[in-house]
Amino acid sequence: MVTRVSPHTLRPGSRLRTLLASGATALALTAGAVVPGNPLAPAPSEARADDGRTTLTVAVAQSVDSLSPFLAQRLLSTSIHRLMYDYLTNYDAKDNKAIPGLATAWEPSADKLTWTYTIRPDSQWSDGQQATAEDAAWTFNKMMTDEGAATSNGSFVSNFEKVTATGKDKLVIQLKEPQATMAALDVPIVPRHVWEKVEDFSKFNNDKDFPVVGNGPFILTDYKVDSFVKLKANKDFWRGSPKFDELVFRYYKDQDAAVAALRKGEVSFVAGSPSLTPAQSASLENAPDIKVNDAPGRRFFALAVNPGARTKDGKKFGDGHPALLDQKVRHALFMAVDRKTIIDKVFQGHAVEGEGYIPPRFSDYFWKPSDGQKLAYDPAKASALLDEAGYRKNSAGKRVGKDGRPLDFRILCHATDPNDKAIGKYLQEWWGEQGIGLKVDCLDNVSDPWYAGEYDLAFDGWSVNPDPDFVLSIHTCAALPSKAKESAATDNFICDKQYDELYKKQLAEYDPAKRADLVRQLESRLYDTGYMNVMAYPNAVEAYRTDHIESITTMPAAAGNIYGQDGYWSWWSAVPAAGASSSSSSDSGGSSTGVLIGVGIAVVVLAGGGLLFAMRRRSTAEDRE
Amino acid sequence: MTVTTDKAASPPTDSPRALARARRRQAALRFWRQYRTHRAGLVGLAVLAVIALLALTAPLLVGADSQSVTNAPGGPMEAPSGEFPLGTDQFGRSLLALMLWGTRVSLTVGLLAAFLSVAIGTLIGITAGHFKGWYATVIMRVTDWFLVMPTLVLAIALATVLSRSIWTTILAIGVTTWPTTARLVRAQTLSVESRPYIERSRALGGGHGHIMSRHVLPNVMPLVLAQTTLVISTAILTEATLAFLGLSDPTIVSWGGLLQDAREAGAVSSGNWWYLAPPGLAIAVVALAFTLCGRAIESVLNPKLGVSR
Repeated sequence: MVTRVSPHTLRPGSRLRTLLASGATALALTAGAVVPGNPLAPAPSEARADDGRTTLTVAVAQSVDSLSPFLAQRLLSTSIHRLMYDYLTNYDAKDNKAIPGLATAWEPSADKLTWTYTIRPDSQWSDGQQATAEDAAWTFNKMMTDEGAATSNGSFVSNFEKVTATGKDKLVIQLKEPQATMAALDVPIVPRHVWEKVEDFSKFNNDKDFPVVGNGPFILTDYKVDSFVKLKANKDFWRGSPKFDELVFRYYKDQDAAVAALRKGEVSFVAGSPSLTPAQSASLENAPDIKVNDAPGRRFFALAVNPGARTKDGKKFGDGHPALLDQKVRHALFMAVDRKTIIDKVFQGHAVEGEGYIPPRFSDYFWKPSDGQKLAYDPAKASALLDEAGYRKNSAGKRVGKDGRPLDFRILCHATDPNDKAIGKYLQEWWGEQGIGLKVDCLDNVSDPWYAGEYDLAFDGWSVNPDPDFVLSIHTCAALPSKAKESAATDNFICDKQYDELYKKQLAEYDPAKRADLVRQLESRLYDTGYMNVMAYPNAVEAYRTDHIESITTMPAAAGNIYGQDGYWSWWSAVPAAGASSSSSSDSGGSSTGVLIGVGIAVVVLAGGGLLFAMRRRSTAEDRE
Repeated sequence: MTVTTDKAASPPTDSPRALARARRRQAALRFWRQYRTHRAGLVGLAVLAVIALLALTAPLLVGADSQSVTNAPGGPMEAPSGEFPLGTDQFGRSLLALMLWGTRVSLTVGLLAAFLSVAIGTLIGITAGHFKGWYATVIMRVTDWFLVMPTLVLAIALATVLSRSIWTTILAIGVTTWPTTARLVRAQTLSVESRPYIERSRALGGGHGHIMSRHVLPNVMPLVLAQTTLVISTAILTEATLAFLGLSDPTIVSWGGLLQDAREAGAVSSGNWWYLAPPGLAIAVVALAFTLCGRAIESVLNPKLGVSR
């Protein structure tokens, strides 16, 4: 390093100039890479390829956990299974009511314990064989007998006594107890003749042998981890062939890159999972040929409180803060959270303030706390409640329990979710005013501390199905892990007798109105415990190119989402736009200022490069002397 | 030089300590005189002085509550205006204020990580140069291993494993960037140790510790100083990179963190350049200023150049 210096340093100025020039060039280069509408970007691809085949490309971020319907749990994978396999029933895109799928009719016996399904005769596997009641019976029996096959949908069959096919078109399911969710069995039915050959269901991922045999509206043709998932239209699908010939889920791990790809026309759709940020949707709304779909979501976004992690047989583990076992503390914490500010500032209006557990979109089950019950934002009342619970402020302004332990909590946050981090900042300040400390633990993988019960609070959220049974079941005692730190169906280690009784009652209630009433009671109980405090129902904010997609079905039809529906409606119904062929999709999307900035940067780059070149020449000239 | 001796000799009653102090002051003055001739170094120093001043006075300039999200004055992602010269972030906080607060983190992390890195490098370099033999072989192979490992990958691995805090970032940068320093210091140590006075000192009974700390260290110190200034700019860049990749404490406002926030808020695709450009420019300017100073110090202290002057 010392010897590298040139023979003399009498001209420090020239070196400064070199440095500055190279610095400017580097800066300009990096800036050029991030400015939208950069004229140097590659040409866009079109929805319609040369051979006239139409392709719908969807930008996604979530990794596929498994393509085996017995293992998949993530939204993307289960959505793909909706496309690959037909389910017994489906949900109506208009109003979420159960409608025929693979089964054309279903009815319970008088004693409520035997359900008979009529299987449709016109559904064929993509290898030509007919899909029958045998396939359905085999799928359910496999899940009931093989623990490896029960990973993702085991909860649906835990109450099944016996499943038999009494003919090609008759499936009979006998139950141990009455179960109200029999028209909402979200279980993909797989072809027996293909899946019989699988040896270990806990390891088989269904991603080796393409195309994968299925009977849904699309057929899986190719998949590369975190790169793409390709499906082609099933022309023989009984409900009718999809309009697009090909459906590709392409990976953009960075959402800004996905948005840029949408502007360029490289993709036709950007999945709102996670939702587009307010800035992104605002800028896309002004872009030509792009439609932003901002719809009430099917998710809730909650503040989960660790109720003391434990196993099914009551063995405690984890290290949740003991103060949180006091209901008053939990209520006080939530009362100090200004939900309205969260909606206005963090979601910037793209969400609805949280009330009960189930989002208002499912109006049958939506529940609101009464005025007396509601834990409204009230910092003064929160302080009083904390004082009452015995956590008084000490001289330093910190709340300390009788055991001398201060109220210092940790909150688990998903490092990949900007909303978690943003709300974490607000919580720190609101709770800081109450004398409560908060450490925001943002991790890429929250599962490990979560399953181990090593958290005090956590940001939590689930997508709710038209039938709420699943999201309700994850808070029952039966969902607790059998061994400490093991993964289990439980969401937050909640185990409450009153809740469990109500849960059992609603599951056995076949009258929809009565069942809805029980579900609302259930939500009321959950609200009172203060373990799951719903802060918001985030909207699904997604965008697509109108010059690629002419029309697409949202679910529900009025103000619904497109990506991650309970059904295959969106991709099945999407109609290719007529003008999607030629250069119409070229980049006029980048705003003119973007282009100007790009041009400016190009000029700077050229100038910097020219300067460098000139100085190079001069320095070599000097060397020659 | 004659002036120096005259001055030192004129009051003969001076204690040896005062003599030493005078000599040091003279050395510092000489250093400054030479440093002054480097225009680039002066520019770098001036820029650093301004930035340091801004960092220290941030609470007075923009107020202590400018980081608060609940009391944010503006709307989300506002364009630059009279009230907010650099616009606002997604919470409505003034970006100028956040930039000033970020200065503190970037400078702190840069300085501490550089000191840690150089301290490790110096320790390893001096001991390897002094002890030679199998110890040096082993330790230099370890150094080589760290040298060929991509710094960023190693730092990312460390930052992922440890919990997210400013200290993790400092540690991750410190323990991954020391090998260059170690190699430099070892070379200098070898050259110092070959001088006759070291042999004399050893003959007079100087132990390992004595030689390393009293003779070798002062002689490698100029090199270490120059190296530190250069490592600081690397450290600041690495800190910004780690923060941008979301591997630093998200609750602390830093320049890299601002870039990460901007990316997450969708500032890139919506063209909000005022959110992206200032932190990036600030990182570049500070790194450049430290590099300019480091180069100037280096050329002042370069023994070869000293002879020719």
